[in-house]
Formats: sequence, C-alpha cells, structure tokens
Amino acid sequence: MTEGSRVQVPPAGPVPPAPPAPPLALPPAVAEPASRPRASRVGDGAMVGGVCTGLARHLGWPVIAVRIVFVALAMFQLIGVVAYGALWLLMPAQPVVSAPGLESASRAGLRDQRVARRRRDWGPVVALGALGTGLLWLVQSSPLGVSDRLFWPVAFACVGAALVWRQADSTQQRRWQAEAGGRAWLAPFVARGGWPALVRVIVGLGLVGAAFGLVVAQQGQISQLPEVMAMTTFALAGLAIVVAPWVHRSRTALNVARAEKVRADARADMAAHLHDSVLQTLALIQRQSDDPRAVSQLARRQERELRTWLYGEELAGTTLKTALAAAAAEVEDERGVPVELVVVGDADPSEALQALVQAAREAMVNAAKHSGADKIDVYAEVGEESIEVFVRDRGRGFDLAAVPEDRMGVKGSILNRMSRHGGTATLRSRPGDGTEVRLEIRR
Amino acid sequence: MSTPASPGPSAAADSAAAPAPASTGPYRVVVVDDHAMFRTGVKAEIGQAVRVVGEAADVDSAVAAVTANRPDVVLMDVHLPGGGGVEVLRRVHATMPDQRFLALSVSDAAEDVIGVIRAGARGYVTKSINGAELVDAIRRVAEGDAVFSPRLAGFVLDAFSGAIDVAAVDEDLDRLSQREREVLRLIARGYAYKEVARELFISIKTVETHVSSVLRKLQLSNRHQLTRWATDRRLV
Repeated sequence: MTEGSRVQVPPAGPVPPAPPAPPLALPPAVAEPASRPRASRVGDGAMVGGVCTGLARHLGWPVIAVRIVFVALAMFQLIGVVAYGALWLLMPAQPVVSAPGLESASRAGLRDQRVARRRRDWGPVVALGALGTGLLWLVQSSPLGVSDRLFWPVAFACVGAALVWRQADSTQQRRWQAEAGGRAWLAPFVARGGWPALVRVIVGLGLVGAAFGLVVAQQGQISQLPEVMAMTTFALAGLAIVVAPWVHRSRTALNVARAEKVRADARADMAAHLHDSVLQTLALIQRQSDDPRAVSQLARRQERELRTWLYGEELAGTTLKTALAAAAAEVEDERGVPVELVVVGDADPSEALQALVQAAREAMVNAAKHSGADKIDVYAEVGEESIEVFVRDRGRGFDLAAVPEDRMGVKGSILNRMSRHGGTATLRSRPGDGTEVRLEIRR
Repeated sequence: MSTPASPGPSAAADSAAAPAPASTGPYRVVVVDDHAMFRTGVKAEIGQAVRVVGEAADVDSAVAAVTANRPDVVLMDVHLPGGGGVEVLRRVHATMPDQRFLALSVSDAAEDVIGVIRAGARGYVTKSINGAELVDAIRRVAEGDAVFSPRLAGFVLDAFSGAIDVAAVDEDLDRLSQREREVLRLIARGYAYKEVARELFISIKTVETHVSSVLRKLQLSNRHQLTRWATDRRLV
C-alpha cells in the first residue's frame, strides 16, 4: 500500500467519469544486459544444430563466415566436425522467451507445443553422429595406429562415451521424452532421470570398459607393453571424457538456478503490479456500478493493458505502430468508444509520420464524438511507396456538402495537416452509412 | 477438400441414429473452453440462435464431446489444458476431417491465431465479439465459409506481404491474388462481407469464395515468406 495516488471518490452525488487510474507501470521485463548475447544454440535459422548461428551472434560475425570456417576446418581431419559436435554439447540451447501470458499458457499445457519443435529434429542426431565419426577418424589417423584388430574396441569406447555425454544435454532429453511416442526406440536412452539414465551410464561405462578389456585380452604379452600403456592412457582419457559432462552440467545448473532466481523475482514484481492494477480497476468498477459508461470504459482500459502485457508484441521505441496504438488508446479512454487497430508493416518515425498519426487521431476523435458508432476500425498499411491509414466507423455519417466551412476539426486538423506534409486525406461519408477517412503519405 | 457437411440424399443411409445436421434449423454447436463462466456466458448469448449440444473444458473431453455429438460447429478456445485447441483439431480431424471449428481467444497473439488456422480451424474471432456477430460467424463456418476478423486479415496481409516475383512463384498457393488482397484489405479496414461485396461490386458469395481461398492458402502454403514471418514470431 505504498501507492500515493489512491483515488478519492466522493461518497455521494454524481460520480466523476473515469478517475485517472494509475497507468500500469510495469518494470521492464528481466533486464537483459546490453552486451553481446551469450553463446547459445539457436533454433531460428539453424541449418544443423544452430551452433554456427549462435556462435555468429555471440561473436558478431556474419553467419556465413562462421559456417565457412567450420566447413574449412572439416577438411582437415574433420576437426570442424569434431569442434561442431563438442560445441553443440557445450552450448546451451537458447531459451525461447515469449510474452508472459503465452509462456504461462505453454507451461500449463494450454498451448500446442509440438509445432515449433519439428524443425530441429535432426540436429542432435547429426551432431552426435558427427562427433562419433570425428572421434573415430581422429583415432584412426593418429600415430597410435589402430589396427583392424583394435577397431571394435575403439568403436565401443566411442559409442560408450557418446552415450554418457548424451546425458549432458538435458533440454534435448525433455524434448525427446515428450516425443517418445513417435520414437519409442530412442525414448529409453534419452528420457530424463530415473533408471533409464542409470542404464545409459552403465552401458556407456561398460562399453568403455569392454574396449579396454578387449585390448588387454588381445595383447596378453608383456612384450607389447608400450601399446598397452598407450591404450591405458586412452582409457583414462575416455574416463575424463565421461566425467566432464557432470562437471560442466553442475556448473551450468548453478548458473541456470541463479538466472532463474532473478527471473522469478522479476515475475513476482510484475505479478504484484498487475494484480494491483486489476484490483484497483475492480474497486473502481464497484464504486461506479451505477454508471454503465464509466464501467465499460474502465473494463476496456484494463482489458487493453492486460492484453498488451500478456500477449502483446514488445513494441520498442516510437514507430508508426506504437504511435497509432497510443493514439487509439487515448481516444478509447477519453471517449469511451473501442478502437480496433490493425497495422500491417511498420515504419520509423519522421515528421510526416507524426502528422499522419495526429491526423488519424483527429479522425478517431471525430468518429467517437459525432458518429455515434459503437466501434471504430483503424487500419494502417505500410506499403513500398506510401503509408495509408483508414479510420472507419459505422455511425450516422453526414452529408459532405453540408459541412460548414469553419468546421476546423475536419478541415484544419486532417485535410490541411496532411497536405502540409505532402499527403492526402479523403473523406467518404453518406448519411446513415458511416464515415471513412483515408490518409496517405509518400514514404 | 472440405465436402459440405449437410447430408445429401446419400448420407441419409449413413446412420438413422445420428441427428442429422439441419441445414435450416438452428445450428448445433459444441462449446469448448476451460472457463466455466465463459461457457455459461456464451450459451446465454447465443443460446437463442443456435443449439448448444455439448460442452467441454479440456482437450480430452472436447474430443469426446465432438465425436459423440458431431456438431455443425465447434466453438473452441485456443488455450486449453492438455495441449491447446491445436491438439483438439489434430485429434478430431484424424477421424472426422470435415468437422468445422471456429476458434476464439483472448490472446490475439499472431502465433496463436495463425497456428490454430493452420491446424485447420475455419475462422478466428476474439472473445470480445458480441453475440450477434458470434452467431453470424458460427453460421458462416457451419455453411463451410471462413471467418476472418480484421486482425486475422491484417496478419495474413503481413505474412503474405513483401515484393513477390510473380515469375518465380509457380505455386498459386504461395501468393494472394489481387482480388484476394483487396478483399482482405477491406476486411482489415472493418468491412463486413456484405460491405466488401458492395464496395467491390461483387456478390457476397464471391467474397466468401475469396476468403475461403485465402484460408486454404494460409493452411497449405509453404511460402518462404510465410515461414519466415512465422519464425520471426516463433512459430512454424
């Protein structure tokens, strides 16, 4: 109850229309540092696993350059492929952040989750395959000189290590678990936690162990000690590979927990603000329940704020879209007539654009004031050469010829304003048929 | 494509038990929404004009109610426990591909609107729609036409916008014809179908044909632009 702007309502008598409810001043969504984005795998525009795109965003390079580097590196003993696979495992998937209402609806299972996933199905498989092949290649071409006899042990070791590594990417697991219906054969290996994870680890370690055992069995003689030593080193390295994911994961988990906390705090703040504003509106509605116009006005305003916050696109800066939305909101609040706004495309602000928005606002005010319509439709379209705005009502309309010359509203604010900025304004109206104002400026 | 659901003489043999969707009487509607209060409100508002034969609050009960009642139109919220309206569409259309859906939502978010249309709904309206308009929309969907709100029309224009090299586009699906564009633009400007028809000197039936054709393109097109527009908004 720190709010200083409690609205005082007189105990009796005519209730003032719509006391200024405090605007819904939300704290900015989780303050993202303005610095370069963290390196993370990206879903949009990914070719394979989204590593290149994510890396490019992190480094600020063009994506194509990063891709070329990887392809070029792949020429040299598949280093590019190995690096890609490793990065795929190490880089966390980029979290998808949407409007809070959508996000919570998704969490609660109210929305469809499958569609967005379809695209990256093959990423993990390809990356895993690449990692396996790459490791195999490296070992084969190394001075260790793995003979045909040793091929299978090595293959076992690789598959085993990969299986354990798989553990590292928990986001992928969740995804696959959800899709287990379609990929039953994969589900036991990728499902999160529980005995499948245990089995996977055991199988992985077992394979590594089998590789080691095979080698020792095949090379029973002491005379081949150097080779056995080398294989031991290899096995130890394999063990390190096996353990590394946990170290990495626990570190990541810590970071995630920290970020989660920050986010949760921000959410709680926002929820508090939101509840506060909704409660205020409800209180106001109860007090003014005998004034239907004020009630619907309050409800409409609250609905708009809530809708924008929950489902709206984040509109940054002053563009045509934000300016028109603000103008429409003002008219709604002042006049109590809902304004339906649809904008196709967007444009950066300019002086002419400002004039256009002002004229559109004037047209909305006129429609709200004089037409008697219960709704105003506003449509703006940003085309290649021009920007058009239509303001339309289905109200009583009027006879254009009968408008006196001194009606400043239409003449001054709309027609003249537009022509001053090189635009045009056309008015169409017939008694009983509503009015439509068409505004156009060249870009 | 969608064959008319109104039974011709041949469908009479199908089943005597199934109540035949009357082409003249009030349309039979199933209302699906997880808010009981909203369902009650909708029933009160449209109950005079249509017959509400079933209700459901989540995906499973919705699929059951629709399968059991075979209504003319399913009026369905986009957000539903159990996977959302899209999941209902997917499961019902697997067995009853001609079932008609009208989606409604408070959300208005592009991904929800386009998502549910691409999943097979024949129209989209917001929950703030008034009773008469809603009844009109239900009738239109029941008759096999599409219902585009100004907002949906705006989304479609946005998605199909951009310079199109006509020579490079061999798929008719991937672009809107000049006439379809004009119709959509008028709908976005707040014109009712009747007014669109008068404005363009065409019949209402022609307007409905154009809108249905746009709906089809929206559902079937893989146009690069549409996909990119969609991914920009995180949906495919």
